[in-house]
Amino acid sequence: MAMRDLVTGGAACAVPGSSSSSNPFGALANAILGSSSKTQELKGLPGSAVNVPEASSDYRPAAPLTTIPGSEYESQQDQRPDARTSEFLHGFHSTDHGGLAEAWDEIHRSPVFPPAQFRENEAHFEEFERVYNANPLQPTWDGPPQRVLSSVLHSFLGSDQAGVPFRPTALPVLGLSEGDKQCIRDRSCIMARHIFADKSEEYIQSQVNALLHSLDIDSNHQIRGSMHGPHSELEGYWNESQGAMIPRMPNPVDGWITEFSQQRENDNPAAWANSFEQMHGANGWASEFEQDLKMGHMRDANLANLAAMEQSRMLAQTLGQNRDPKFQKSKFLQFVSKMSRGELIIDENQIKPGTNSLAGDWANEYQAQYDVGPKSWADQFQQEELSRGTDNWVHEFSKEHQRPDEKWVDEFSKLNMNDWVEEFGQQVSEGAFGESSADVWADDYDKYLDDQLRASKQRSGASRGVYVFSDMNPYVGHPNPLKEGQELFRKGLLSEAVLALEAEVLKNPDNAEGWRLLGITHAENDDDQQAIAAMMRAQEADPSNLEVLLALGVSHTNELEQAEALKYLYRWLQNHPKYGSLAPVQQADSLYYADVARLFNEAAQMSPEDADVHVVLGVLYNLSREYDKAIAAFQEALKIKPRDYSLWNKLGATQANSVQSADAILAYQQALDLKPNYVRAWANMGISYANQGLYEDSIRYYVRALAMNPKAENAWQYLRISLSCASRNDLFAACDSRNLDVLQKEFPL
Amino acid sequence: MAVFKTPFNGYAVRFSPFHERRVLVGTSQNFGILGNGRLHVLDLPPPGGSGGGLLLPVCAFDTADAIYDCAWSESHESLAVAAVADGSVKLFDASLPASSNPLRSLHEHSREVHSVDWNPLRRDSFLTASWDDSVKLWSLDRPASLRTFREHAYCVYSAAWSARHADVFASASGDRTVRVWDVRDPASSLVIPAHDHEVLSCDWNKYDECSLATASVDKSVRVWDVRAPRAPLAALAGHAYAVRRVRFSPHRESLLMSCSYDMTVRLWDYRADDALLAAYDHHSEFVLGIDMSALVDGLLASAGWDELVYVWPHGTDPRAVMP
Repeated sequence: MAMRDLVTGGAACAVPGSSSSSNPFGALANAILGSSSKTQELKGLPGSAVNVPEASSDYRPAAPLTTIPGSEYESQQDQRPDARTSEFLHGFHSTDHGGLAEAWDEIHRSPVFPPAQFRENEAHFEEFERVYNANPLQPTWDGPPQRVLSSVLHSFLGSDQAGVPFRPTALPVLGLSEGDKQCIRDRSCIMARHIFADKSEEYIQSQVNALLHSLDIDSNHQIRGSMHGPHSELEGYWNESQGAMIPRMPNPVDGWITEFSQQRENDNPAAWANSFEQMHGANGWASEFEQDLKMGHMRDANLANLAAMEQSRMLAQTLGQNRDPKFQKSKFLQFVSKMSRGELIIDENQIKPGTNSLAGDWANEYQAQYDVGPKSWADQFQQEELSRGTDNWVHEFSKEHQRPDEKWVDEFSKLNMNDWVEEFGQQVSEGAFGESSADVWADDYDKYLDDQLRASKQRSGASRGVYVFSDMNPYVGHPNPLKEGQELFRKGLLSEAVLALEAEVLKNPDNAEGWRLLGITHAENDDDQQAIAAMMRAQEADPSNLEVLLALGVSHTNELEQAEALKYLYRWLQNHPKYGSLAPVQQADSLYYADVARLFNEAAQMSPEDADVHVVLGVLYNLSREYDKAIAAFQEALKIKPRDYSLWNKLGATQANSVQSADAILAYQQALDLKPNYVRAWANMGISYANQGLYEDSIRYYVRALAMNPKAENAWQYLRISLSCASRNDLFAACDSRNLDVLQKEFPL
Repeated sequence: MAVFKTPFNGYAVRFSPFHERRVLVGTSQNFGILGNGRLHVLDLPPPGGSGGGLLLPVCAFDTADAIYDCAWSESHESLAVAAVADGSVKLFDASLPASSNPLRSLHEHSREVHSVDWNPLRRDSFLTASWDDSVKLWSLDRPASLRTFREHAYCVYSAAWSARHADVFASASGDRTVRVWDVRDPASSLVIPAHDHEVLSCDWNKYDECSLATASVDKSVRVWDVRAPRAPLAALAGHAYAVRRVRFSPHRESLLMSCSYDMTVRLWDYRADDALLAAYDHHSEFVLGIDMSALVDGLLASAGWDELVYVWPHGTDPRAVMP
């Protein structure tokens, strides 16, 4: 709990509801805080013991056992001793929960772990208990590793969101047991193979190695025997007959592995891989991977370090290669990639941010990438260079180029570095490397760094709360970009306004108004992630700006982040000159929805003429899905501010949420009359029509929204769905190729 | 158009065969790599009033390891089964308090249990498929498995009952094959080398007893006729990453639903020239769980690693409209 406090600011324990999954607030709190406090209260679950409460007799089907299909084969099928053993154990535990079972466990345990081995097998013993599932006093799932892992994951994501540096020192020891490590290795290995299907076996291994390395799971760690091919059955049989004591004793597979490694040493790696593939087919991969781990720790330390750097670099490279913005936003991939880039490291069993930690600040991000990615490459390059002398390196290079078995060239081509290599090859053949070869090389290297930077910006922008700037901004250098941005925003040229405002905040990073307007522009352009990122910067610059706090509350509501939304709405109240007295100063994280709603209702009674209070109430009721109340609140606000287009949009969205799509369309129309270039309202209009089954109409509005902001990815997806529902499959091609001309001609508005 | 945020990462979602507004969701901490699991029972908000909104939690149960799959009992409306990564299969009764659950814990698989499927015709039995390369047949009234099917040479990712024959099922494995079994026979009756990569999921057509679909790491969904297994009836390309799950529609013969590591949910008509009907892009992480309601035509559900569960009618936006 102490660790959770530090990570979350001490709020965790103040949320009584968080232990109850029947409370959505609690569920949300759990989601944000990471590990569930409920799990900590559980005392253990029945394992292999069959625990059938009396009520369960209701569930026994009337059909007699003999009607079960295949039961006539049962005796033939389960002749294996392992099955018999486990069946026996199951029967045993199900019929007797008392001392007899314990006694049996004792008897069974002692020959397996003679006292002399006990010490060195302590970790294994833990796992034994888990596997054996006989000791309820040691629920290993409740140990620290899960909480730490989970908290690390969630807290560094959270640190991105809050723009607060990740605090490392408070984290306790990461006591992963042998069993946990095995789990992580086995599962991440199998999953990596699904996720990185396109990549080579070697690549997948390095992915997993990178993760394992980051988690301090060594390659010399005892590996669970191969579960594949004919060995698996042998091994399973052997292990189970030994009372489920899995990996401790020398087992047949180890011998086989050793034999295989000996064989390997005489072979060159490529041939080895080939012959292995032939021998073992698809199933060999895992064994191959284990081989690699085994071989890994035989190398000397230097090589191992280089390899780790290389792996990290390869991972970063690949993540950068995927241009899909969704992939770059994936928290899972960020987790893996941060671990692997060394931005989270485990030192002396403590998780710390690497020296290049990202604090949710894009400048740091840039620096980090600059340090981590290319540098390791540069180091490597330098090594190569030194090893053969600078004078003839170009010559060497062209020679390397023709020797694909040389490791580093090979690796680079695998990493889609072909362009770069080819470019070099060309320059070599054109004689471009004359006296100025070093300059040319430097230029190319700069270009490479640029690419890396761009990729890293995209990737890192994925992190929540990190603002991603556009490339090639024509407004940089503009004498007064803020004024220009305000003007563009007023005209409704949202995408242009974004560029101008970015130029402003690049020039004056502390200009809260610049950040605020940038956030508003992104929200109206249908990009809540960027909107939140910009608003957080605005809030940093001016922590008590009411408009900023309100906007943050709305954006977090859109992203279904209730706790965050409540936090900002509460701060809005606290900072308001009129209502500040209503809100006692307290930890803003331990907020109940009901309390906040009550306070705002009081505020509304205090000054019913304040439109903002009604707006906040409307947002709050959206959060609790009380749409009727939300609609009433927005309508109240509109009586005071009838020309606020964003209010009309909010009203429409709320009506759409409560399935009053016809009303919603009227509200959107009001918003669009007031602000014709309001992309979000156009797209929302399309959604409302689609929800009423009026697909042709919905297409018209999506197309209109896209004509104004072709980058609205969501709208493209909705458009395709509506096309399909309207049986206009003939336009799929136009949709897929983003051909707005065709679509606009077909569906004019 | 209802949504629920789960504390853990979503792995599986299933509509109740008894209540048209109820779903079962299996979730895992830390992406299922290490940590606990939680099984949620959720209800759609009542009809009328507000149709959009939040799924309402009915109850939830914790497990000591990740939950990779779950299924409702076909015989008892409150009974559900979870496939747990520690190798156990756990039975829960949603009508009983958490203290009385799980009703049973069946621990025979030696590695992660990856899928579970309840027999829709012979409603007292279910199948589990595991990374220990085996498939096991269980019955409600037995403390141990009835049968173990070991032929696959690598992890079995999925086992699915035929919708037309009570004794027939198919299994999909990382050994790149799909096998068709009759539980009355000791060995598989058909081996289909279905893909050139691992096969992650399979499902039977609900109307054509000979037709089954497979989903693979090779990014494709294939539809097979078991009478002519040499070539697929259809190959559906479009997913950008491995396809994690595939389901046939309970209502339309040629309609399929799939989800993928490319974070999309797709609907296909495998008989149509342009097979892709819709690509739903509402999740922001890998999508691992999908289902189509048997009681409400066109009602879809999905669960993903973004910790969100969505239930929505086909053709509408799974996300609520943003204020």
